[in-house]
Amino acid sequence: MGTGHRRFEFHATFSGLDEGLDILHDSVDRLRRATGRGPDDRALMLFETALGEIGSNVLTHGKPAGTERPVEYTLRLDGHGVVASLTDSGPRVHEHLSREMPGHEHEDGRGLAMARSLLDELGYERDGEVNRWKLVKRL
Amino acid sequence: MALEVETRPSENGVTVLAPTGRLDVAGAPALKYAIGEAVKNGPPKVVIDMEGVSFVDSTGLGSVISALKQIRGSQGELRLAAPNQQVRVVLELTTLDRVFPYYATVEEALTGF
Repeated sequence: MGTGHRRFEFHATFSGLDEGLDILHDSVDRLRRATGRGPDDRALMLFETALGEIGSNVLTHGKPAGTERPVEYTLRLDGHGVVASLTDSGPRVHEHLSREMPGHEHEDGRGLAMARSLLDELGYERDGEVNRWKLVKRL
Repeated sequence: MALEVETRPSENGVTVLAPTGRLDVAGAPALKYAIGEAVKNGPPKVVIDMEGVSFVDSTGLGSVISALKQIRGSQGELRLAAPNQQVRVVLELTTLDRVFPYYATVEEALTGF
């Protein structure tokens, strides 16, 4: 289903883990309602899974001690799909971006590998003192 | 949305844990705690009823792997029941469906346990 005829844009800032995760999932629910997609829509379900991974990374690692800067979040539709942007002030994460899926016995380290697999584009750049993430999924 | 975990002892000595909510980085500690209590207080045969889990992330999945290690370390067994589509996709994406064979219902998971 194309998305070019729909408009949707959501902005939020947040700092707390529970608050931030609630906002991320709520924003995807809003997008479902705005586009008439059900809870079983596979593309949005895959996108939400990737968003949860990047969001939890940002919320747990993206707030160095003494930093009050909140995470900035935008979710929008463009002509081909859904685009999320997250900006945080945590340390740079280049060394983790290419991490492969770990073996079955490992309890962690899957988040970025999952997000890469689930999205059409996972963008990351270090911009001065902040990390900028871009998540793209065609719908 | 905090994860809540109900513990239901079954008649055949299997403990059924029924989490409700998102099994994510915020909810995983609640499941880990419930698993610890189930292993401590009873036989290490555990079914996790996933019907009430709306969403799982890699940290939540890690808590299930941790549970599996803990239960197998006690010579027990862990089964998953009734995962929704998102949970099944995550299990398949990570190939952990080969480690956690899942059952359509709790009743099926309890059969022959």
